[in-house]
Amino acid sequence: MRCVVGGGEVFEHVARLHGSRAAEALREYVPLYCAEPLEVYLMRAELMHAVERILKSGRFPYFAGFYAGRLRSDKPRFIPSHVLLDRLYKHIGHPVRAVKISDAGIRVVLYGRDVLAESVVECFEPVEAGEVVSITGPDGYVYAVGLSKISSCGEIGRLREKDVVAKTIFDLGWYLRSGTVPREARYKV
Amino acid sequence: MAGYTALLEDVRRRVSESADPTARRLASKFGYLKYMVVRYYEMLGSWDRVEELLEAFEKPLPRAIRVNTLRFGNPREVIERLERLGYRFSKIPWEHHSYVVTKAGGVSLGATHEFLLGGYYLYRGVASLIPPLALSPEPSDVVLDAAAAPGGKTTHIAQLMGNRGVVVAADISRERFRALRSNLERMGVENVVALRVDSRKIPEIFGEYFSKSLLDSPCTGEGIIQVDPTRKTKTLFEDLARAHRRQVELLTAVVRSTAPGGLVAYTTCSIAPEENEFTVAEVLESVGGVRVVKPAVEVELEPGIVDYFGIRLPEQLSLCGRTYPHTHGFEGFFVCVLEKIGP
Ligand SMILES: C[S@@+](CC[C@H](N)C(=O)[O-])C[C@H]1O[C@@H](n2cnc3c(N)ncnc32)[C@H](O)[C@@H]1O
Repeated sequence: MRCVVGGGEVFEHVARLHGSRAAEALREYVPLYCAEPLEVYLMRAELMHAVERILKSGRFPYFAGFYAGRLRSDKPRFIPSHVLLDRLYKHIGHPVRAVKISDAGIRVVLYGRDVLAESVVECFEPVEAGEVVSITGPDGYVYAVGLSKISSCGEIGRLREKDVVAKTIFDLGWYLRSGTVPREARYKV
Repeated sequence: MAGYTALLEDVRRRVSESADPTARRLASKFGYLKYMVVRYYEMLGSWDRVEELLEAFEKPLPRAIRVNTLRFGNPREVIERLERLGYRFSKIPWEHHSYVVTKAGGVSLGATHEFLLGGYYLYRGVASLIPPLALSPEPSDVVLDAAAAPGGKTTHIAQLMGNRGVVVAADISRERFRALRSNLERMGVENVVALRVDSRKIPEIFGEYFSKSLLDSPCTGEGIIQVDPTRKTKTLFEDLARAHRRQVELLTAVVRSTAPGGLVAYTTCSIAPEENEFTVAEVLESVGGVRVVKPAVEVELEPGIVDYFGIRLPEQLSLCGRTYPHTHGFEGFFVCVLEKIGP
């Protein structure tokens, strides 16, 4: 499985989606792009030497560092991982591009179901239809990543209870259901 | 084939010649192949202790969790959240963030939100916590985990290193490698370079590169019969000898990949001397340049075996450590720390 080091594309997407302050949180990381579709890992410079040894031997690492997300040719062009999102929110002190939902909502989303208006307790701008949106629990952790059906938080008030606010494309229940399926099958998009 | 591997043939002969009626009786009472019980007498030195071991293998293993400080800055938060689900724990005194489960809660421990958030790693037995502690990795180390999947020890090593330094996690199995990827991601590990490879090739790739190396070796599982009772009858002596030869090849490669002055921890979830002391003895002799040192862990371990069916193994193997279900209350397990002697 091929991997290449370097290239700033992931940082541009993070800055575009979550702001330049969020991108600052990743300053000390080097991207590693692996596999098809393109998976992005971010690694500290400390790991580079070991990665280079592997590449020099004609092999490729399976991954290195932490999983940051997937680059795509269609919208959404970048799907950030929940690990990346938790890290960005910690750095900037609050979520962006996110809906916070109730515990009952989380339980349903962890089965891969979509986010309904009735479970949203808070919404964090910007949100944009067709673009990624984080789904956080009342504890502030990211439990899922979805595609937004709304273009501003204000729209939620006009929706009916069972209207979909976000289509879930990855949820943490994946670790339980399919932790050992190929990574290509990860997102429902 | 060098000295100690060849001596396994003597062990096999002596085991098969034994006609001890107590061995036959206990083997039949607990449903084991007789050769296994003959060996337990040789390991433990009395039939009472053998019977205690066999009885302990009938009892379920206490499960344990290690709270993951890489995802939850405050480890109490994870415990309190699980207590709200009805769980109760007792703290393991020799591992700062680990707990034995004393009462189960409403949701399975492999399916709680806290598990999915990477709040803890779930162990089927407590002994798995020992090898990373014996390796005592630090943030400045470059560590090899040569049989890493599904990642219990890799994630523990990363936690002990505070997610700094470097861990190369290698494993040969495609399926298990996906579980490793999943666990590292869930647990927020970021100091790992993962490489799917036959670890016997690691010296070719890295040379003498690592300051600390772990080989949590594939083994026959003779220490976890509680988890897999079919192990009582499915493994013949020839299978032990085959496992031994594979372990020698892997340990040889791991020693060769370790820098002079570095440490190697060899561990198995087996109590078989054939897979443990004989493997280390063979590598001490055939590779050379390594010596056994006492594992720096707070948990009390039984010494390694140096006399087995009249065969003398190197005295330094007594510094290796063993656990047994009847003495420790958890799985049977072996750990041996080797130091690569500097130039
Ligand atoms: C005891 S398990 C490791 C458990 C792991 N250390 C943990 O704590 O989760 C042994 C592992 O060795 C791997 N293995 C067997 N032969 C191997 C080889 N030649 N090279 C690399 N890995 C190998 C198996 O795929 C298996 O995952």
